[in-house]
Amino acid sequence: MALPLAYPLRSLVHRRLRTGLTVAVVALVVIATTLFLALVSSLRRTLVSTGSPENLIVLRKGSDNDGSSQLPLEAYQTLRFVDGIAKNGEGEPLVSPELVVQPFFFRPDGGRENVLVRGVESVSLAVHDEVKIVEGRMVEPSQGEAVLGRGVALRYANRGIGSEMKFGRRTWKVVGILESGGSSFESEVWVDARDLAADAKRPIPYSGMRVKVAPGADRDALIRRIGDDPRWALEAKPETEYYAKQAESANTLYGLVVGLAVLAGIGAVFGATNTMYASVQARIAEIGTLRALGFSRASVLIAFLVESVALAALGLVVGVLVAWPLGLAVSKALGGIGFGAATFSTNVITLRVGPFDVVVAAALAAAIGLAGGLAPAWRASHLRPVEALRKG
Amino acid sequence: MKFFPFIWRNLMRNKLRSLLTGGAIALAIALVCILRTMPAGFDYFLEQLATNTRISVHNTAGIVYSMPYAYRARVKAVPGVVDAVSWTWFGGAVDKDDGVTFPSFSVDADSIGVVFGDLKFAPETLEDFRSHRNGALVGRQTLKKYGWKPGDEVTLSSLVWPLELTFRISGEIPADVDPRFWFQREYFEQALREKGVSFDQAGMIWARVDDAEKVPAVMRQIDEMFRNSEAETTTETEKSFFQNFFGNLEGFITVILIVTALVTLCIVFIAANTASMAVRERLRELAVLKAIGFHWRLLFVTLVAEAALLSTVAGSVGAGLSVGLTSMLRTAAGWNQQLGPLSGFVMTNVLIVQALFLAFFIGILSGVVPSFGAARRSVAATLREVF
Repeated sequence: MALPLAYPLRSLVHRRLRTGLTVAVVALVVIATTLFLALVSSLRRTLVSTGSPENLIVLRKGSDNDGSSQLPLEAYQTLRFVDGIAKNGEGEPLVSPELVVQPFFFRPDGGRENVLVRGVESVSLAVHDEVKIVEGRMVEPSQGEAVLGRGVALRYANRGIGSEMKFGRRTWKVVGILESGGSSFESEVWVDARDLAADAKRPIPYSGMRVKVAPGADRDALIRRIGDDPRWALEAKPETEYYAKQAESANTLYGLVVGLAVLAGIGAVFGATNTMYASVQARIAEIGTLRALGFSRASVLIAFLVESVALAALGLVVGVLVAWPLGLAVSKALGGIGFGAATFSTNVITLRVGPFDVVVAAALAAAIGLAGGLAPAWRASHLRPVEALRKG
Repeated sequence: MKFFPFIWRNLMRNKLRSLLTGGAIALAIALVCILRTMPAGFDYFLEQLATNTRISVHNTAGIVYSMPYAYRARVKAVPGVVDAVSWTWFGGAVDKDDGVTFPSFSVDADSIGVVFGDLKFAPETLEDFRSHRNGALVGRQTLKKYGWKPGDEVTLSSLVWPLELTFRISGEIPADVDPRFWFQREYFEQALREKGVSFDQAGMIWARVDDAEKVPAVMRQIDEMFRNSEAETTTETEKSFFQNFFGNLEGFITVILIVTALVTLCIVFIAANTASMAVRERLRELAVLKAIGFHWRLLFVTLVAEAALLSTVAGSVGAGLSVGLTSMLRTAAGWNQQLGPLSGFVMTNVLIVQALFLAFFIGILSGVVPSFGAARRSVAATLREVF
């Protein structure tokens, strides 16, 4: 015969202070874990969601990011006519030659960061089809105009279209804001490639190219054709692979965070065990009565486990409800959280608690509830009824 | 002190509970220590490597913008400047698939020992570096990570330049947290010449000023000198340079601090829970003790002392645990691109002492509220209630 569910739940209400403190402990562990996990997974999500599988990034062989690559102009001119590249309506190949430079940008509090400024051509938007100009318009060639990524606009400028901004050696006019569904293009500034080359005093205007693979064309064959051209030492790889590689360094961080969460979780298990032992201790006579009435050991065991898991579940709910707005508030207060990257530029991310972070936190809370309840529940279920009744 | 056995016995009454509470506090204190080593590692990094007489001269537009190499001689000629050395980012990787795992720069062999003299290089190391064209000075952190020794040959592929260069390690840069890899500019320039590239730029210039008092004036003079030139400069002290360079870590540090505060609060709750349980069980005997003449203040103090003792003992175990864990993390993590100096996990004595104080303070805090109530309760009421 099972004990009614209300029994263990009522007992939580009975000892309010003890329940409250234990729920608070679990909630704090959940908040700490969720915030940390969300930070790292937001960073990963930003990087991993960048790029399209139909796009290739072409760099000088041996360079691992477009900030450190340089391409001869002729390489661009010949690459345009390689087989397997998509074309737009006018038959123009979708090859976007780009220059990347990372000048200083200044936060409102005076701190400076390297921000990725991408020199682009008119074809670039067609190649990067995830990037949308959501306010204003795209830059015109040679006008010293700039389009700000959403993250950049929030973090450094917070001024609208039409304002002027100084970076690199000159002053630029902001003509638009771009968004890309939260991916890392939103941490970039787009300007005209020639404007940027002149400002950075680069004799060669391009550092890399982005190429759209024609629908139905063999992507791997195109990658080989680009890599095998003996005239230019080029290397092509899918954009998604390029950004996934950048996200790899976030994996170490993820491991670290999970390690710390486990440490905190074990601490919380100890706390929960204490509370549950006290709960058993306070009810020895009651348990004896239940057993004498004919409730089985298993039903007593389950009742105490339910109590412990309910405790942890309550902590989980409170924790997630606090962590989610807290993360957004912290991001907002700081103008996004900046991360340095292998590309020498700053990724601005929003700390957003994702579903997977909640799943991990829930697993942790469940583990705390079960591990913390097991030993006390075992003791309760193995009390001998006669002795229990006498002791109480 | 004469009450110590009394306190100790009380603590040992419910061994399991004391053990569990102690374990939870120890883990939480260890966690606080580990988290704090991250921002503290940054301060330690600055303290170890930065001096206030070394200044950085770089392009105003950003550190990826270069400046003419000739600027070095002009900086050197400024009165008050002892010597100046140029730095150019090499972006060397041991394994291209892993990318850049430590910062590598070409430097001027004749000046590096003067400008960075405060790092206390062994004279024979500098001599070896100057006399070997392919010599390299490598920070302890990187030497340890790759198990390199002076005399070893290592090959780095540049991710920035079309170069793959082999270096012979001359010796260490004697600072524990130093990841840097320095080699001769001449060797680098020559390798580029062989590729048909003539290189007359420098990424940055570091200068040593003979007197800290003169630093502001020298910095102004340098920036004034290059105003309206092809590369305008910003000069700042080494400390300010590093703070700016790692400025984008601020958000991450804020999150670490929030998490640390949460974990601390967690310890308070765990300790308070235990203290209140312990006190509740002992209401009757407290009343008896008071009835036979012990003053409530004494009972209050022993109860608080019990909580503080448990917390402090657990705190020292936790601090010890964190020393072990951070040393493991140090070997495992090394130089992380996203964390920079935060991944140093440097444990200092100050951190340990602070952790012990934290544990002690939390113990007292958690003991005060339940103990005060219990110690002040009227004897008659308690005894009537319980019997």
